[in-house]
Amino acid sequence: MTGTKTNRIRKDASAVAFDWIKYGLLTLTALICVLPFLVIISGSLSDNATVMREGYGLLPKNFSWSAYETIFESPKEIINAYKMTIYYTAIGTAVGLAVIVLTAYTISRKEFKYRNVVSFLIYFTSIFGGGLVPWYLMYTNILGLRGSTFIIWFPAIMSPFLVILMRTFIAGSVPDAITESARIDGAGEGTILTRIVLPVIGPGLATVGLFLALGYWNDWYRSSMFSTSKETWELQFYLYNMLNSATAVSEMSQYANVSMDAVPTQTVKLAMAVVATGPVLLFYPFVQRYFVTGITIGAVKG
Amino acid sequence: MKRFVSLMLVLLMVLVFSGCTAQQVQAPPADDTPEESATQPETQEEAPADTETEPEETPDETGAPELDTSELVTLVFYLCGDEPNDTAVVEDALNERMVEKFNTKLDFQFTTWTDYTTKYNNTLTTGGADLVYIAGWLNYHTLAASGAFLELDDLMNNYAPELRARAGEDTLNMCRVGGELYAVPNLWPEYVSTGISYRQDLVEKYSLPVPDSLENLGAYFQGIKDNDPDQPIYYGTADTNSVDCTGFDIAEALVIKYDGFMDYGYIFDADNPSVLTDYFWSDDFVEDCKLFKTWADAGYWTRSSLSNENNTDAYKNGLTTAIVSGQNPNKHITNMNDFANEHPDWETKYLAYGEVTGYICPSHATQNGTSIVRGCKYPERAMAVLQYLMMDEETNRLVQCGIEGTHYEIQDGLYVNLSEDYGYEAMDTWNLRVNEFKLPQGTDTILQEMFDYYATIGEKCKYPNVNIGGDFSEDYSAYEAERTAVVNVRAQYLPPLQAGFVDDVDAAVEEFRTKMLEAGLEKCREGYLAQWDAYCQEHDYV
Amino acid sequence: MTATNAKLRSGVSLLERPAAARTIGIWIVTGLSLATLLLSLPFVNWFTLTNLSGLWKALSIPNEAVIYSGYSAYNLLSFVQQSGAGILGFPASMLLLVTIAAALFQAAFLFRVAFKRYGNKGYLQLYSTGTCAMILSIIASFGAIAYLIFANARLGITWMLPSPMVCLVPVLSIAAYVVLKAMQKTERVRQHEHGFLVEFKRNWLLFLFLVPCFAYFIINNYLPMSGVYFAFTQFNFRDGLFASPFVGFKNFEFLFMSDLWKLTKNTVLYNIVFIGLGNVLQIFFAILVSQVGSKWFKKTSQTMIFMPYFVSFVILRVLVYNLFEYDYGVINTYVTALGGSRIDFYNTPKYWPFLIVAFNMWKGLGYGMVVYLATIMGISDDYYDAAKVDGANIFQQIIYITVPLLTPTFIILLLYALGGIMKGQFELFYQMVGTNGVLYDATDILDTYVYRITTSQPLSMGLATAAGLYQSVFGLVIIVVTNFCIKRGNPEYALF
Repeated sequence: MTGTKTNRIRKDASAVAFDWIKYGLLTLTALICVLPFLVIISGSLSDNATVMREGYGLLPKNFSWSAYETIFESPKEIINAYKMTIYYTAIGTAVGLAVIVLTAYTISRKEFKYRNVVSFLIYFTSIFGGGLVPWYLMYTNILGLRGSTFIIWFPAIMSPFLVILMRTFIAGSVPDAITESARIDGAGEGTILTRIVLPVIGPGLATVGLFLALGYWNDWYRSSMFSTSKETWELQFYLYNMLNSATAVSEMSQYANVSMDAVPTQTVKLAMAVVATGPVLLFYPFVQRYFVTGITIGAVKG
Repeated sequence: MKRFVSLMLVLLMVLVFSGCTAQQVQAPPADDTPEESATQPETQEEAPADTETEPEETPDETGAPELDTSELVTLVFYLCGDEPNDTAVVEDALNERMVEKFNTKLDFQFTTWTDYTTKYNNTLTTGGADLVYIAGWLNYHTLAASGAFLELDDLMNNYAPELRARAGEDTLNMCRVGGELYAVPNLWPEYVSTGISYRQDLVEKYSLPVPDSLENLGAYFQGIKDNDPDQPIYYGTADTNSVDCTGFDIAEALVIKYDGFMDYGYIFDADNPSVLTDYFWSDDFVEDCKLFKTWADAGYWTRSSLSNENNTDAYKNGLTTAIVSGQNPNKHITNMNDFANEHPDWETKYLAYGEVTGYICPSHATQNGTSIVRGCKYPERAMAVLQYLMMDEETNRLVQCGIEGTHYEIQDGLYVNLSEDYGYEAMDTWNLRVNEFKLPQGTDTILQEMFDYYATIGEKCKYPNVNIGGDFSEDYSAYEAERTAVVNVRAQYLPPLQAGFVDDVDAAVEEFRTKMLEAGLEKCREGYLAQWDAYCQEHDYV
Repeated sequence: MTATNAKLRSGVSLLERPAAARTIGIWIVTGLSLATLLLSLPFVNWFTLTNLSGLWKALSIPNEAVIYSGYSAYNLLSFVQQSGAGILGFPASMLLLVTIAAALFQAAFLFRVAFKRYGNKGYLQLYSTGTCAMILSIIASFGAIAYLIFANARLGITWMLPSPMVCLVPVLSIAAYVVLKAMQKTERVRQHEHGFLVEFKRNWLLFLFLVPCFAYFIINNYLPMSGVYFAFTQFNFRDGLFASPFVGFKNFEFLFMSDLWKLTKNTVLYNIVFIGLGNVLQIFFAILVSQVGSKWFKKTSQTMIFMPYFVSFVILRVLVYNLFEYDYGVINTYVTALGGSRIDFYNTPKYWPFLIVAFNMWKGLGYGMVVYLATIMGISDDYYDAAKVDGANIFQQIIYITVPLLTPTFIILLLYALGGIMKGQFELFYQMVGTNGVLYDATDILDTYVYRITTSQPLSMGLATAAGLYQSVFGLVIIVVTNFCIKRGNPEYALF
């Protein structure tokens, strides 16, 4: 309602200048960001050999579906890979978000004596790591999880970065005075978390959830390390491995007398990006409202 | 006053304790008694007695010991590559036999082609497999020397005597590392002779020389450039993580001149293998770099070449008119098939460098082999199973080709694929190839012709048909740090030199040499040569 | 003065007075702490080796090895290295860590006593330092004894014995611990403070909230962290991961054989620019987007700016190469069309810092912006309304309301990134530069160097871990110092 009021008032010069700056800059940046995507889409629809000789353009060169045909050669597998990725993303994001909120809430509480120690212990893991082998050993030999689906989503449910980000969001949107008074009124930690904190950290939840989900969506590494059958492959790994086997098999052909279908590697690379990104862009607007339209904090104040 | 008292007390305590500990420092007067203790006879007696008893027991038994198959076990066979769709079908068919014969099930697991070296090493480290595919390009020698695999001599004597007899001691000896046998090689001899693939159609069209020397290669490139300025001439990539002589892959063409390159800038001479000549400090090196610079200046390859990524499709798509590195007879076949599919009017030809230099040899036994992982709980069973896989025709064919009628059929003695779910050697079990059982494919006749031809050349070598450097592996632990520095300097300075991107070749060569010396090349060379000498002595290469 | 008077009167009443009892207690503990500290210094041997010649035989120690008859926790690893008994290496390094920690805490305690730095909660902080020191000393000494049992059992010998010193340490430190605990109890009552148990009872739900987080980090991070030890071993399969020969700092040599200064400089400078410029741009564009009135434009532009995030580095390589290639690259095509001469990007190092930064900004802008956008959306409208009433124009609103409210987030993100200042973005550099040695002076970072080295030799786990450790220690020092400084300025902004 404040917006309507200001519109009626005549805009001063600074506001007009600012309008120009913001619309101009944003349009320009958006174009710079989107142009390469057009190249990618048109490239993925081009003929592989032509593209390799002539480079890419904004329009498809020698239009061809062959890259997509290669990717969707066995539709059953790719649909399964989509399904698995959606499953990992959903469960990983849900569990992760819950754990992160609990952790971040705890270490944002001033009453919690050990919050700095815990913060440090969490942050410390982002600096020191033992490397791949002990990590792999932990999950495969000690926990014996190789090949399970659990191992694909569990290692990414949280990260020090997301915990600390969430803590910042909570600290920023819930003033201490509010929690303090709630506590004096006899509210327990559970009540404060669900009734006071959760309703106001929508943008934070959306941000952290988005980062978690994107992490899951883009991951291929855990499938590569831990999967023992195609059934559990993530989408990105399915695509990435397709490309890798095309290269590897032709490199390895000195050891194997294999006849392999030619894979148009260049255009498949680009088509992969389209196939993997598409669904996210369709889904994105549902989360986006948290970043572009404010939420009402009225619920708390009222 | 209080402070004074406390200070006194502290001082007193320090004195007391440091006095007490000072004695401690004196007590251990570097009590190292190496020579004396090493020759002390009393303790010596026990240890050898212990170790001697064990080996004696097994040879004592006359016949092969009975294989204990009382318990049903599953052995993991770890392979390099992607899993074919019908693995489970073939596994089931195979396990029917396996259970009946050995009370054992085989579970084939795969690295996939993504990050395969990492996963392969991880699996070995964590003991995630029993039987495993090995190859020189998967660092068989280093892994074996480091103890990743079980010693197979006794196991083979006891549980796979047929396989041992079939393989022959000569072949097995090639798989030995430090005198111990760690792998069973595949039993299909092949030639992996590197060479150059070039466009025969262009040679004919513009009547160009066949690139059988560096000059002719230059003339071939120039001829194409003159006749068709738009045609990209050569697509090359840089190699930055080794210590060999070729930083930009056009330099691989130099093998047409020299018998072969070794690490640290040495040239190898097949007639006189024990003497390595210095390449980096020779005039040839400067001349070669100058030649490449004229090629680069003539625009045979783009000035962005050093950032090129490996492009296996470059030849097929006309981005390059010749490939000079990593080619071999098998790849030639692949190229022929690619051309036939996509450019019927193009023609590719293959020239092995050995045809020019006269030095050619079959691929080494460790190219494809099978090992048993250290930590395997049932090594006897694994060995027996391996023998069965390789010595039983039906079983071998089941693994290599799938189920007859479902996955393949035999027409006129040739393999014909019936199903996309299980192709030829679908599980990449190149290590289980056996000459007598290997079903020929259509292209195998061409391949065999090439092999036969190479064999005749190989016969004429000083060491006929011997892969001289094939099982030499360097142990650089004594000069590891220097080696890494050499890798780094080489990565930075050698590729631009050989790609012809430097302005002044002489100055750049000088800089390269100085940097290499600063990095500690001398120390690496010293260690490397000593090992090479020992290796040549061991194998009687004089 | 009162204490000395009391001393004159009677010894019994002296102990009854809390202040005097405290003084005596501190004196006792100080003495014990000093003794413990002296006993756990490097020159005090905790282990004695008898029958050296037998040991030489049993372990088949090489002749040139140097073995002493006695060892402390500090030089124990040299025994492991010289004797080649790799199996003893991991526990020995754990013991070393605990011993060092114990000695440091003892020293800290003594320092606090000597210079009366008691902290701000009466004597409580002094006591807790002391308790920590004593607990660590107890762990260290018992650990040493356990280590001996383990070593003898694993090597099948009976010649490694504890020295009397190591037996004295637990006695002293347990005594000191008991005294400290007693004093801590009375002091807590005085200061109205409470211990862990009380805190746990009061906030048990918060502790419960942390359980999943702890489980996760222990499984995923802390237990695998033991792999840091591999930086000091030369791995081989025969001995296995935790029993491979201990080689000291040999794995770090390769870092110093390279131009470590160049690598460090490149890595740090790139990261500083990435972090600094990246965040500034993200804030700038977040503000721009938030100020847009039209919902449609807002959403579309934001989505579009986000899109480069989905361009994987593999594809980035394709794009970059097609832009800057010498013969047919887009830029050079335009340059020649306009009559200029071709630009040799791939042989000219000076362009690349700008290109790499630009592409990294481009790729990360949309992703990083989300955090700031969400923060801006969390700012209550009341602030702006009030400002408008006061006649603030749009720039003033941004500078005086938006920016200050974004600062905490900005500082936290900045701090967070600082710990990783030595960890380069491997994929970005590797894919953009590839194997181009000509550009290395301007583009080689630690991660690409390590990658090159480790792919050039198999079984190089030790080298990779060593490089990782260098990055971690570098990052830790920087972050701890920065965090300390920030905490002094404004504890709200501190990371931990």
